[in-house]
Amino acid sequence: MAHPLPLSPLLAMLAFLPSAAAADVDFERDVRPILTQHCAACHGRDEQHSGLRFDRGADALRGGDSGTAIIPGDAAGSPLIERVSADDPDLAMPPKGERLTAEQVATLRSWIDAGADWPNADAGDDPLDWWSLRPLNAPEVPAAPVPPGFEAWARTPIDRFILAQLAAHDLAPSPEADRRTLIRRLSFDLTGLPPTPDDIAAFVSDESPGAYERLVDRLLASEAYGERWARHWLDVVHYGDTHGYDKDQPRPNAWPYRDYVIRSLNADKPYSRFIEEQLAGDVLHPGTRDGVTALGFIAAGPWDLIGHAEVPETKTDGMIARHLDRDDMATNAFGTFLSLTIQCAQCHRHKFDPIEQEDYYRVQAVFAALDRADRPFHSDETDARRYADLLAEKGRVQSQRDKLDREIRDAGGDALAALDERIANAEGGAATPPEHGYHSGIETAQDVAKWVQIDLGARIPLHSIVLWACHDDFNGIGAGFGFPVRFRIELADDPAFESTVTTLIDRTANDVPNPGTAPHTFAARAQAGRYVRITATKLAPRQNDFIFALAEFEAIDAEGRNVAAGAPVQAADSIEAPIRWRTTNLTDGLAPGKAIAVDAAALRAEREALLERVVPDQQRQALAALRNELAQIESGLAEVQPSGTVYAGTIHHGGGSAFRGTGPDGGRPRSIRVLDRGDVKSPGEEVGPGVPALVRELAAEFELPEGHAEGERRAALARWITDPRNPLPWRSIVNRVWQYHFGRGIVATPNDFGRMGQLPSHPELLDWLAADFRDSGQSLKRLHWMIVLSATYRQASTGRADAELVDADNVWLWRMNRRKLEAEAVRDAALAVAGALDPKMYGPAFQDFVVERPEHSPHYQYHLHDPDAPDSHRRSVYRFLVRSKPQPFMTVLDCADPSMQVDRRSETLSPLQALSMFNNGFMLAMSRRMADRVSENQAQPEDRIDLAFRLAIGRSPSPDERAALVEYADQHGLANACRVILNLNEFLFID
Amino acid sequence: MISSRRDFLWQAGGGLGGIALAALLGQDGVFADQSPGGQIHGGLHHAPRARRVIQLFMAGAASHIDLFDYKPELVRRHGQPSDFGESVETFQDGLGPWLKPVFEFRPYGETGKMLSDAVAPLGDVVDRLAFVHNVVGKTGVHSQGTLLQTTGFNRPGFPGIGAWVSYGLGSLSDNLPTFVVLPDHRGLASNGTKNWDSAFLPAQHQGTVIFPGSKTPIADLFPDERIPIASPAGDAAGIELLSRLNRGHADTRPGDDRLDARIRSYELAARMQLAAPEALDLSGESLEALKLYGLDHGRSEFASEINELEEIDAFSRKCLAARRLLERGVRFVQIWSGNDNGFPRRNWDSHEDVERDHGPLARGMARGAAALITDLERLGMLDDTLILWTTEFGRMPSSQGGRGRDHNPYCFTNWLCGGGIREGVTHGPSDEFGYKPADRRHPTEVYDIHATVLHLLGVDHTRLTVRNNGIDRRLTDVHGHVIPELLSHPADA
Repeated sequence: MAHPLPLSPLLAMLAFLPSAAAADVDFERDVRPILTQHCAACHGRDEQHSGLRFDRGADALRGGDSGTAIIPGDAAGSPLIERVSADDPDLAMPPKGERLTAEQVATLRSWIDAGADWPNADAGDDPLDWWSLRPLNAPEVPAAPVPPGFEAWARTPIDRFILAQLAAHDLAPSPEADRRTLIRRLSFDLTGLPPTPDDIAAFVSDESPGAYERLVDRLLASEAYGERWARHWLDVVHYGDTHGYDKDQPRPNAWPYRDYVIRSLNADKPYSRFIEEQLAGDVLHPGTRDGVTALGFIAAGPWDLIGHAEVPETKTDGMIARHLDRDDMATNAFGTFLSLTIQCAQCHRHKFDPIEQEDYYRVQAVFAALDRADRPFHSDETDARRYADLLAEKGRVQSQRDKLDREIRDAGGDALAALDERIANAEGGAATPPEHGYHSGIETAQDVAKWVQIDLGARIPLHSIVLWACHDDFNGIGAGFGFPVRFRIELADDPAFESTVTTLIDRTANDVPNPGTAPHTFAARAQAGRYVRITATKLAPRQNDFIFALAEFEAIDAEGRNVAAGAPVQAADSIEAPIRWRTTNLTDGLAPGKAIAVDAAALRAEREALLERVVPDQQRQALAALRNELAQIESGLAEVQPSGTVYAGTIHHGGGSAFRGTGPDGGRPRSIRVLDRGDVKSPGEEVGPGVPALVRELAAEFELPEGHAEGERRAALARWITDPRNPLPWRSIVNRVWQYHFGRGIVATPNDFGRMGQLPSHPELLDWLAADFRDSGQSLKRLHWMIVLSATYRQASTGRADAELVDADNVWLWRMNRRKLEAEAVRDAALAVAGALDPKMYGPAFQDFVVERPEHSPHYQYHLHDPDAPDSHRRSVYRFLVRSKPQPFMTVLDCADPSMQVDRRSETLSPLQALSMFNNGFMLAMSRRMADRVSENQAQPEDRIDLAFRLAIGRSPSPDERAALVEYADQHGLANACRVILNLNEFLFID
Repeated sequence: MISSRRDFLWQAGGGLGGIALAALLGQDGVFADQSPGGQIHGGLHHAPRARRVIQLFMAGAASHIDLFDYKPELVRRHGQPSDFGESVETFQDGLGPWLKPVFEFRPYGETGKMLSDAVAPLGDVVDRLAFVHNVVGKTGVHSQGTLLQTTGFNRPGFPGIGAWVSYGLGSLSDNLPTFVVLPDHRGLASNGTKNWDSAFLPAQHQGTVIFPGSKTPIADLFPDERIPIASPAGDAAGIELLSRLNRGHADTRPGDDRLDARIRSYELAARMQLAAPEALDLSGESLEALKLYGLDHGRSEFASEINELEEIDAFSRKCLAARRLLERGVRFVQIWSGNDNGFPRRNWDSHEDVERDHGPLARGMARGAAALITDLERLGMLDDTLILWTTEFGRMPSSQGGRGRDHNPYCFTNWLCGGGIREGVTHGPSDEFGYKPADRRHPTEVYDIHATVLHLLGVDHTRLTVRNNGIDRRLTDVHGHVIPELLSHPADA
C-alpha cells in the first residue's frame, strides 16, 4: 500500500490541485472557492456585513468599515488571516457554519504572502462572468509541449490538451494498455457487458491496421450501447417505476420513456432533438411516437399520491404537494440539461449564482399546467400524426368555445352563474360521493353472516325495497363493491329479530349477480314491520378477505316515499371509517349514480330556457356547432387506437377525486406566484413563464401571445436551452460523457456548474469538446469515438509512485482510472458470464420481487422472488425500480436511488457488500449456472477452471491460480469455485 | 471546497492514494481526520454527553392527547361542538365534537407527570423523561411528515438522521453495522427504506435493516438456502482462497487502496456472520431481564387481530435486541412501531377508533420502552445513550364524528431520555386543547430536536455538512437551535 505522504495528498485533494506549494496558488482555482464558500454569504453580493465583501477584488482589497482585511505580502498582519484562524469565538470567522481547515488557511496565507494577486480585481460584478456562463467558442488546440519521449504519444486533439497540463505539472503520461485490457475496458464502458473469450482472442490477434477503430465501431453499433448509456441518463433524470412517498403505488406505464432513451441513444439522435423531445416533443415534433414517450422525462421523478389524490389544491397540504411536484420538474430540467441548481432560488435569490427567486418561479410556470399521468402514444406514424392533428384541432375549437362561453356567461349574469353552480353540485355529487356507505367488519371466511338494519320508527306497510351498491376503486373492484353474493331481507317489530319476523326476500340459495351501481328493487307486497334488516349470508370477496357493503337502503311506502331516509341504522359490526364508511351513510340519500338523473337534467333544462331568453340565437347556434365539432373530434380521437400509454408530464383530466388536474379548466396553466421563503401560504406577485437571464442574447421572459397553449411554454424553454448561443447544455453533456468514460468529469460536479460546484480541471478541453459537439451535428457516438480513440483513454491504469506524489488523485490523467463496476454492470456481467443473460430488449420491466398486499401499500418482497427465475435474467436497465424499497442487492452495490438526481454514483466498499456478493441468491444462482456452462463445454477440471476464468476475467489463470481453484473445486464443488471467481477484485475492477 | 477526506472519497472515486482503509470501509467518522483544533474531543466539535442513540418511531401519527399531553379542558368540553376560534384545515373531516382522551390519565413519579393508562408502564421511569409538547410539522400528509421527522426534509432524497450520525461519528464496532433499523414486524412504514436512506452520503451509512428472530436477520448474512451450493467449510475455504487470489492481484497494482479495502471487507463480513447472530440471540438473557421486558409469556402465537400481548412481544423484543446491539458497539438504532396504512389498521393512524388501535400499540410500546430505559440504567448505559420518542405528527382534539381523530401537524409530542437530557422536565406546552403550541411564535421544530441530538453527540449541527448539487446540505437544513431547557448541562450549549 502506498502512502507516499500522509498529509500532502490530502491537502492536494482539498484544494483540488496536485501540489499546493506557495508559488503555485492560483486565485480562481484555489482561493476564490474558499472565499465563496466560507465568506460570501455575509460578505458578498447580497449582504456586506461590516461593509466588507469578498466577491469582488477591488472591494475585498479595499477592506470594510474597520479597515483593510487583506494586506498584500503580509499574511501574518492581515486581519483576514487572524479572523479565520482565531480560537476566540467572538473573533473567529465564519461565526457560524464550517470553519476553514488548516489547509485552507494555509492556502490563503500563501496567496496573501505572494502578493494577493486578484486577476481582474477591477472587474465589475458581472454575474455572467463565470466560466460556465461565458460564451462557448472553440479554443485553439495547444501545440503540445511534449515531454521527452512522448512525441508520438498524442493521437488526437484531446491528447494535446491533456499533455499540455501534464507537462505543466511535470507529469508524463502512461503507455497504452495491453489489448486484453483495452477490449475489456471498452466493452464495459460502451456496452456494460464483458467481452467474450472469442472477442478477446480475435482482437488480441488482429494485427491489421484499424483493429481498435473497428472494435469501437462494432461496440458503438451494438444495441447494448443504448442499454448501457440509457442507464446513465436514467440516473440523472431519476427515473423510477413507482411513485414513492406514501403507499408507493406502481407506475405500470413508465417504461416507454426508458425505451425511448435506449432507442434514441442507439439511433444517435442529435442532442438538441433529444432535449426538445423530452421537454416539448408533443409540440416541437408532433405526430411522432418519440415526441410523446419522451415526455416521461417530466414525470420521471417521485410523486406524492396522497398529497394529490386525497387533498385538493385548495388546501395547504394540497398546495405544498403540487409545489413540490413542480419543484421536481424544474429542478430536473435545469439540473439535467444545464447543470444548474435552480432549486436553490426557491426561498430566496440564489446565494451564489445569478438566479433570482422570480426566475425559479418562472421556470415553475413553464410546467404549471402539467401533472404526472398516463398519456396515450402511437407507434404508427400515420396514427400519431392524425392523433396530433386532432389534438391541435381540439385545442383550437376549445379556445373558440371558451371565448363564446365567456360571452354567454357574461350575458347570463348572476342567474346563470347560480344555475351553473347548482348543476355542478348535482353532477359532482352524483359521480361517487365521498360518503361511500356502510361497510361491515372484514372476515377471512366468506360464509360469515353479517347484518345491518334500519329503524323506520313505526310499523309501516312497504311497497318496495331498493338497494344501491357501493363504488370503491379498492383493488380495482369499483362498481358493486361489497354487494353480498347471497342475502335475505326481513321485517320485524322486534329489533333483535327474534320474534315477529317476516321474510321479504330470500336470495340465500343461489348466488346473486352483482348489480354494479344500478339500483336493485324488490317488491314488498305491503308487508309491514318497524325494523327492516338485510343479512348477508355469503359475503363479497375483496383481495384475500370478505366483506358486506351497501351504499343506500331505501324502503318505499305506498305513496312512493322513502321512509328509510335518515332513519337510524344498526349493524352487527362496521369498520366506521368516516366519512367514507359509517352506518349512517346507509340512509343518507347518497349513492353512486343516484340523483343525477332527476336533478341535473331538470337543472339543465332550466338553463336552456334561461339562455333562450338572454342569448341571441346566432350565438347559441354557433356554440352548438362548436360543441358538435368537439364531439366529432373526440370520437375521432377515440378511433385512433393508441399503441400504449406512457406515464408522462401531461394535462390531467381528473374526475371525482382531489387529483383534478388542469384538464377541467381546458389545460390552462395554474397561476404561479413567487412564494416568500418558499411558503405556499405567503404568495407574492404572479409570474409568467421564463428562465433566468443567463444568456445575454436571449430573452429571459418568454414572449408568448395571450391565451397561448401551455405547450408553447415548454417549447420556448426547449428552444432557449438548445439555442447555440446558450453555452450550458453543450458543456454539460460533454462533461457527463467524459465522466462516464473516465470516472470523473472535467468538472467533478456534473449537476452544478455554478459557483458552489467545482472548477473544470481542463477548461479549454471542455470548451473545445463542447463547441465541437455543438457545431458538428451533436452526435454522442461521435463524441464517444473521439474520446475512446484518444491516447489518454488508452493509457494503462497502473499506478506510478513518482506521479502519485504529485497527483495522487490523477486529476491530470497521467494514467487511466481503474473503475469499479456499477451495480448494473456487476449483475449483467454475472448473467453474461453464467450464460444466463436474456437479451430481450424493451417492453415492460421485469420484477425481481413478489408483491404482497397490493391494495393499499404494496409490499415489495424481494426475498420471496426466485433468483434463478429466467424471466428476471434480463439486463438490469429493464428492472422494475421501486422507490420505497429499492432492490437490496443493487442498493448495497451503490445503485442509483430513483428518488434523487444522481449525477455521479457513489462508490463504496463495506462488509455488507461483501456479504451480498458472496451470499446473495442471485450470485449463487449465477455461480451454479456458470459451473453448468463450463462443465458442458469442458471435461477436465483444469480446463473447466480455465474457461470459467476466461469468461469472467478475460484471461487464463496463472498456474498457481489454476491449481488452487482446481483443488478448491475438487473439495467444494465447481459452483463454489465459480462463486469465488465472481467475487474476485479482478472481476469487479476494470483496469 | 472539499472539507474532508471522506467527502473526497465519496466525490472522487478515482485514484485514492493516502486514504485510510477504515475510511474506505466507512468505519471512521468524518471527524476522525479533521485536525485543526479538534483533537481534544476526539475530533468532535465539543465534548459529547451521548455516544449512541435509540430512536423510537410511531408510524401513522400517535395521538399526543391520548398518551402524554393531558388536556383537562377536553374532559370538560367532551361532546360539545369543537370551536377552535379560527378556521382550521384538516386532512379528512376532523372537526367533529371535542373528544376527551380515550384513556384515563394519572400522575406518576415525583414530578407527578400525567400519563394515560395506555402508557402506564412508562410511569416507572417518567422522572427520567423530558417531554416536548409543542412540536410542529409542516403538512398532514403521512409520507411528508414521516420524512420530515426521519431526514429533516419533507421530500425524498435526504439522509436519515442515523446515516448522518454514522457519517459523522463512524463506527464503534468492526463487526456490526453502525446504524441499525428494526422495522415493525408487520412491515415498513410510509416511504419504506427512504426513512433511513444514506441518500448522498456513502451507502455504508444507510440503516441496515435487521429482523431479530428471523433466520437471516441481516440480508445476505448467510448463503441463500434456495440455491444450495454453499457449506460452512466451503465458505471458509472460499474466503481464504479469495483473499489469496485478490492479494496477488493487488500486489501487481500498487497504490490502489480500494483493492486492499475490499479484501479486508470479506474479513469483516466473516466476523459479522459471527457477531450478528450472537448479538440478536436472546436465549442467554436472564429470566429477570425477560420479565422486565414482558417476554416471559411463553407464547409464540397470537390472535389475528391487533392485541396487547403481541405488541408487547414485538416491541420489547426489538428494545432488548437494541440494547444488545448498543452494548456491542452499534451507534444508532431506530425502532419502528406501526406498518403503513390500510384496513384493518396496523399502525397509529386512528381515524376511526383511537382506543381500538392506540390501546394495544401504546401498551406494547410503553412496556418495551420502559424496560429499555430501566435496563440501560441498570447497566450504566443510560448516561451516554440518548433515547428519542417521536412520530410524524399528532392528532386533533376534536373527533371525526366517531371515536377517531384526524391528523394534527400543528402540534404533537416528542420525549427524550438519557445521554445528557435533563430529567423530569416538560418543555414547550401546547394550548388548552393540544391543538397548537401555547406560544405559537415559539414552537419546537424537528430541526431543534435534531440539533439537540447532534449537540449531545458532540456535533455542531451547522458544521456537519456535505455538498450535494450545489448546496451544503445538513440534517437541519438552514434551521435549528439546540434546546438548552432539555440539557442536563445547559452551559454546554
